[in-house]
Amino acid sequence: MILLAGTPALAHRLDEYLQGTLISVEKNRLQAQITLTPGVAVFQVLLAEIDTDADGVISETEQRAYAARVLRDLSLTIDGHPLTPRLISRQFPTIQEMQAGRGEIQIEFSADLPLGGANRRLIFENHHFRQIAAYQVNCLVPRDPDIRIAAQNRNYSQSLYQLEYVQAGVQSNSPVLAWCSSDRVWLGALALLLCARFALLMKKKKTQAMA
Amino acid sequence: MKTKYTHRISILALFSLSAAMAQTATSRIVSAANTFLSTLDQKQRQSVLFAFDDGQQRARWSNFPVRMVPRAGLSMGELSAAQRAAALVMISSALSTRGFEKVRQIMAADEVLKHNEGNNPMFGEDLYYVSILGTPSATEPWMLQFGGHHLALNITIAGERGVLTPTLTGAQPSLYTVNGKTVRPLGRESDKAIALLNALDESQRKQAVLSYRLADLVLGPGQDGKTIQPEGLKASAMNERQRAMLLDVISEWAGIVHESAAAARMAELKAEVNETWFAWSGPATVTPGSNIAAYYRVQGPHLVIEYAPQRMGGDPSMHVHTIYRDPTNDYGRKLTSK
Repeated sequence: MILLAGTPALAHRLDEYLQGTLISVEKNRLQAQITLTPGVAVFQVLLAEIDTDADGVISETEQRAYAARVLRDLSLTIDGHPLTPRLISRQFPTIQEMQAGRGEIQIEFSADLPLGGANRRLIFENHHFRQIAAYQVNCLVPRDPDIRIAAQNRNYSQSLYQLEYVQAGVQSNSPVLAWCSSDRVWLGALALLLCARFALLMKKKKTQAMA
Repeated sequence: MKTKYTHRISILALFSLSAAMAQTATSRIVSAANTFLSTLDQKQRQSVLFAFDDGQQRARWSNFPVRMVPRAGLSMGELSAAQRAAALVMISSALSTRGFEKVRQIMAADEVLKHNEGNNPMFGEDLYYVSILGTPSATEPWMLQFGGHHLALNITIAGERGVLTPTLTGAQPSLYTVNGKTVRPLGRESDKAIALLNALDESQRKQAVLSYRLADLVLGPGQDGKTIQPEGLKASAMNERQRAMLLDVISEWAGIVHESAAAARMAELKAEVNETWFAWSGPATVTPGSNIAAYYRVQGPHLVIEYAPQRMGGDPSMHVHTIYRDPTNDYGRKLTSK
């Protein structure tokens, strides 16, 4: 004889659009994976945005367009500089799988990180379908032993995530060193060489004139 | 019918236990596995056996019901009563008494759910699958998998070592009554964790309680081998009593596997308890006798445990998913890589 306490009904996600992001930080770039799982109650809303020609199939073009939209709805900055996420891969379930509440869309992207100081601050914002979203965002433990995570901060909904990390083997953040560490240092060296060459030529010309 | 069936399993389990008193844990599991295989016909053997390194089969587990995410192997419903009893004896031989009881309660919860859903064929005890990867052996590595809705046991056996990661447990409903007795398959996981939270002082609690909402598992199915940055309160900032309570929480997962493997695993986890973190998100109160509605995570260098109540149109404390991992040793990779 089995008696029930409570009546939990369904085995699948209902009225939320779960969006879990895992971020991996390297020296020159970051890589991330977003797993998007629509609940069955919000599936129709989402499907209208993905299957735009409503033919019941998520075509390659529709997949590309939706992945691009997801990336557009993200905002990424490092030390205040905006980053451009680049799509690496995308995987879409069938409409039937999504309808059943078990369909996971997976999008992988990367972004190049400009050179910076030892202490870095990455800010990640996700605005995709914010009315129905259940966001989750985490950082993977860096594979590079030179990178150490210092702090993670989020707002309550996890739509805003701030990651602070320290990169060993990088000079301090002083503006001079930051300037030296950039590509501009090569331009400066080239300018100095040209000046020296010009000074030598002038000196040679002067000596010849005196002779 | 059900009582007779349970009786039969109990007698078989007792017989197997007494006959195996002098055996090592692994030889006992191998013997039970071979007994189970001997009950199968050729076609069934083909269905239940996989190559040890079959990556697809290893990863074919989920919290979803099998009608939503199909499993491979043989389902309980496909087996005769004798075969089913032999399968359950094999599974019980790889688990502790407490661990096997938890598994049976998770399966019973799914039977309750089936009943609750108007005999919905998506749920029920018949829909749990068994599979064997490799050849049962006392010396060579092999794997035993058992799972369905809210259950995925991945047991790697390598000599006398037994590895239970990754393993998923869950329950819906996570509180039900059978013959007037309240059953909570994941009740101890809930009770021990809130007891630990309540044992923390204000400053410790501030560190342990995360300021954001967690809707689900972070490292659920499909996230093998990943390690996220730990958060919350580090056990090095706990006192001895609190650390012992944390280890007691961990034992609810580490102790599912048979006693000698569990003891080895607990010794490993105890040695690095100071490097282990405890994080909590959600309500910090609970009605006595009920389950918590909060998410929590325990994470160490070789451990990830997540307990995640599911908000799916009802009371989140009644529907729980949990995951138990060693990201450095999923499917016993450390023991089996040559």
